[in-house]
Amino acid sequence: MVNLSLSRRLNLLLAIITLLCFLLALYIGPVKISLVKAISDKLANISSVESLIFYDVRLPRALLALLIGGTLGLAGAALQGLLRNPLAEPGIVGVSNFAALGAVIAFYFGFAGLAWYALPLGGLLGAMLAVLLIFLLVNKQNNTITLILAGIAINAIGSALIALALNFAPNPYAMQEIVFWLMGAVSNRSLNDVYIALPFIVAGSLIILSCGRFLSALSLGEETAQTLGFNVVKMRWLLIAGVAAAVGAAVSVSGNIGFVGLVVPHLLRPLVGYQPKQLLVPSFFGGAVLLLVADMAVQLLSDGGEMKLGVITALVGGPFFLLLILKMRNTWL
Amino acid sequence: MKALAVLAGLFMTVLACADVEYPKRIVSLGLCTDQLLLQMVGRERIASLSYKAIDANMSYMADWVGDIPLNRASVEEIIPYQPDLVVSSAFGARDTVRLLKQLGFSVKTIPLPQSIDEIYELLRLAGQWFGTPAKAKQMIDEMQRAIVEIQKRNAGKPEKTAVVYSPNGYTIGLDTLENDVMRLAGFRNLSAEMGIQRFQKISLERLVAASPDTLLIDNHVYNRDSLAHEYLDHPVLQKMVPKQQQLFIPSRLRACGGTMTVDAINYLAGYR
Repeated sequence: MVNLSLSRRLNLLLAIITLLCFLLALYIGPVKISLVKAISDKLANISSVESLIFYDVRLPRALLALLIGGTLGLAGAALQGLLRNPLAEPGIVGVSNFAALGAVIAFYFGFAGLAWYALPLGGLLGAMLAVLLIFLLVNKQNNTITLILAGIAINAIGSALIALALNFAPNPYAMQEIVFWLMGAVSNRSLNDVYIALPFIVAGSLIILSCGRFLSALSLGEETAQTLGFNVVKMRWLLIAGVAAAVGAAVSVSGNIGFVGLVVPHLLRPLVGYQPKQLLVPSFFGGAVLLLVADMAVQLLSDGGEMKLGVITALVGGPFFLLLILKMRNTWL
Repeated sequence: MKALAVLAGLFMTVLACADVEYPKRIVSLGLCTDQLLLQMVGRERIASLSYKAIDANMSYMADWVGDIPLNRASVEEIIPYQPDLVVSSAFGARDTVRLLKQLGFSVKTIPLPQSIDEIYELLRLAGQWFGTPAKAKQMIDEMQRAIVEIQKRNAGKPEKTAVVYSPNGYTIGLDTLENDVMRLAGFRNLSAEMGIQRFQKISLERLVAASPDTLLIDNHVYNRDSLAHEYLDHPVLQKMVPKQQQLFIPSRLRACGGTMTVDAINYLAGYR
């Protein structure tokens, strides 16, 4: 029997931690500014150095870290429920890479300028393709080895296609920017990036959250879920669409930041009694905290955030992934 | 007697000049050497220029190329010209340069000037190589005169601060030609004052904190779809420096160091 009030208290605690990390992220940056002056200037519509730095440079950065971290955490929990495998997450199964591919095609070949939603839409289509692929590959033979191998294949294809697309891009800088798309960053972003990603992230996240009960039922098996009254096919499509929209938009503005969706749900799962539905909201907050902290690390380690965020998450997530595999070697594989 | 000696001297000089070996079939592998050739040497002595010479956005001498054959700096293209001199910039077409040297061609690379004085040095050097020292001296004199003119014209005007901001967030600091250009045009380079050496990235926050009067941005590109150019489109730049004070220095004045550098100084000085 799941302890609801415990779950609610966990969500509240995580929300508070997220807020604190967000405020701390607003404070950290290459230039020391007084946050009080910055906010009061902005409210009084005075354009000062502090208000410009706060509102146009730091706020987008912190907001994106929060939103994207949350999205990746949530998507990780969703994919783990959908594929019924604790190793699934957007980066590992190749969803993030394909989302980056969709975004690259939209961005470098001029589509992004046509409409505000063109860029995140590109990410969405790429992500959707990857989720479908992984699902087709894994569905009949749902074990961990198949999942990891399928993920490796899709990741490899995704990166190769990204490199190919960048090679043909008209702009001469394109080829060097592959690092951004494969490793991710939230610095030097503006509020415009937040605005174009936000609708898709919100829509995708809400869709995923609405599938919570289905995820819990699915953990008992497909047939059981069916007999419990869920239209399994329809719910799966809904989940796929939600993950694709949220991850697609997130990656389209920040590149591929890996391992967030792996580490966070895994750490929080015991705290929610291993219930897939209760894992969703905490994973969002946990992911937000993780990425905010990673971004602060980037700010402190490299002036102005030149290090890619994906480097930090990979440094943490890579060994974590390895440990998970080793731990599971004797049980699941 | 004296007249005979003078005549004999003249005759010897003429003979000596006839013996002087100056290159007659020169090939250029890069933009900067293209422009030097077009400015200093007669067209009949230029065997080939690089294809960048006709790019009107980057090449100061684009209109003077005419029907001179263009090359893409590949060894196979160069060999048929049988050049007696091949010139290139220090960092361009390195493999081609190396292979041509191995094959026995005379190849010379010009340095990248990082100050006005280094431009004068470069022109003297080129004059020696091409056999046109008088032309080189003439170009140097004209440059010096023009710079003095600009200084006089701008004397007494208030100083302005500026920062160069390039794709990928790079700025330009001390020990660079651009720094000299800004100085001679009467702008204080805030990046140099912050201690930035040569070409380095500057974080957006530091750029905003510097609060320059003017932002110098290179804006010739036809295709701006890249993350590198997104740096130049960040909304905060519009807020911190209004559009009138964002100066787009024409790339053809910046791509190489030479007489066009004076045009660049003039262009900037016009905005003081």
